[in-house]
Amino acid sequence: MTAYIEFKNVSKSFSGKPVLREMNLAIDKGEVMFIIGTSGVGKSVTIKHLIGLLRIDAGEIWFDGERVDQIPERNLAPLRKRIGMVFQSSTLFDSMTLAENVALPLRKHQGMAHHAALEEAKRRLAQVYMDEYADRYPTELSDGMRKRAAIARTLALSPDVVLFDEPTTGLDPISARRIDRLIRELAKSLGVTAVVVSHDPPSIFGIADRVAFLYRGVVHVVATPAELRASPDPIVQQFINGKSSGPMETPGF
Amino acid sequence: MSLFRQRIERIGTALLDAAGAAIELWLVYVSTIAGILRGLSRRRGGRGRPRGELVRQLFHIGNKSLIFIIVTLGFIGMVMAYQACLQISRVTGDFSQIGPQTLRLIVSDFGPTITGMMLATRVGAGIAAEIGSMKVTEQVDALRMSGVLPIDYLVVPRFIASIIMTLMLTTIGSLVMFAAGGLTANYSWGVNPNLFFDLSQVRPRHLVLFVIKAATFGAAIPVVAGFCGLRARGSSEGVGWATTAAVIGSSFAVIVLDFLISAAALFVTGGDL
Repeated sequence: MTAYIEFKNVSKSFSGKPVLREMNLAIDKGEVMFIIGTSGVGKSVTIKHLIGLLRIDAGEIWFDGERVDQIPERNLAPLRKRIGMVFQSSTLFDSMTLAENVALPLRKHQGMAHHAALEEAKRRLAQVYMDEYADRYPTELSDGMRKRAAIARTLALSPDVVLFDEPTTGLDPISARRIDRLIRELAKSLGVTAVVVSHDPPSIFGIADRVAFLYRGVVHVVATPAELRASPDPIVQQFINGKSSGPMETPGF
Repeated sequence: MSLFRQRIERIGTALLDAAGAAIELWLVYVSTIAGILRGLSRRRGGRGRPRGELVRQLFHIGNKSLIFIIVTLGFIGMVMAYQACLQISRVTGDFSQIGPQTLRLIVSDFGPTITGMMLATRVGAGIAAEIGSMKVTEQVDALRMSGVLPIDYLVVPRFIASIIMTLMLTTIGSLVMFAAGGLTANYSWGVNPNLFFDLSQVRPRHLVLFVIKAATFGAAIPVVAGFCGLRARGSSEGVGWATTAAVIGSSFAVIVLDFLISAAALFVTGGDL
């Protein structure tokens, strides 16, 4: 069976420094796949390739039976409608209210009229319990609230896949677990495929279906959280237990 | 031999980088023009600029620069008239042409160029810092994900606002420059205001040159600054680099364009400017 999302021998360098080296990863439809690894190992880079925010140097990327790494920027809109992304920093636009932020993709991708898009945006904000802040500006809100609004903006287009770049980083534990629950619900009730870049052990072991551990530019291991915990691999054990010494002396490269 | 080769390679790399940057800058300009055309023919909910953004940019670029331009050009006008009177007093002592020739110089060159240089620092830095910050915090990527072309959203409104406001500020600044020069000449050297404020030497071709230069500088500043902002990398250091590059680049663009437009005007008029 062909995977829903597939990275085949993907390589990427920045200023001559290799980040991904013939990396392979397959993600199934409807699963919550976590990509973990040390800082700078290429986790965010990996997911940005899927939606054309970065271009691979070599290899292939496939999504739902279609090769997507060669689609030119001007033709990427349909793909970006199907694959949404929640960025590491919430990336809400400061000059717009929350409702206007959420309405923007509805107006641009779906051609909705301004007022209709705002009404829909308020409904989307209600799904993340943020409707009472619809007319507030991002700078007036906490990190957790901004993150929830950013998720509402991404979900406004009802994407098939959502990419989360460190969704719980910088949040208090309660907000972080609420985000986890939201990701899990998306997969369970709507069948959304979630690809989550994370460092957060409670998230990884709480909601992941499978985990891909990225090390030295390749996927070192793909396993369920239980298999990962039980793995005899000293590199995996060092990472998940957060030990400063071990075989992974130099994180990343 | 290897040292020689390394240096050649370094020069070659720098040249390639410069050529790549020049092509990117040109693409930003072409994309901006294309964005304006798209905006004119945009469908409902299309790729137009955000609501109210043009007015916001007109205010930021125009209103907020007004005092800066008035003060700067006023002082330059005073210094220019004083120096002109001083030099004339050492040669002939005939001040009859000071005013008309100063005005001619202001209209055909100094007014647009000095206003352009001043706006390159204030407006260019502001645009690069704003767009650069959005770039390094992934807001530009978020725009792309929202189906928005970053050039349409970030550069086009600033481009239109900058052209309109540079024309207006250049007009106001040039008037202030001339008035300040006239007052200085009168106060310091006793030049008769009727003699100084003589408009007879300004011909329609000077006014055409004035408009062309002001509009061109107004267009160049947001394109160069937007280009620098969109090239920002990393974090605050990258934004700082983008801001510095925007000030240098847009000031340089104003000077080079001033030279090219002046040379073209001399060519077209057969030297009769």
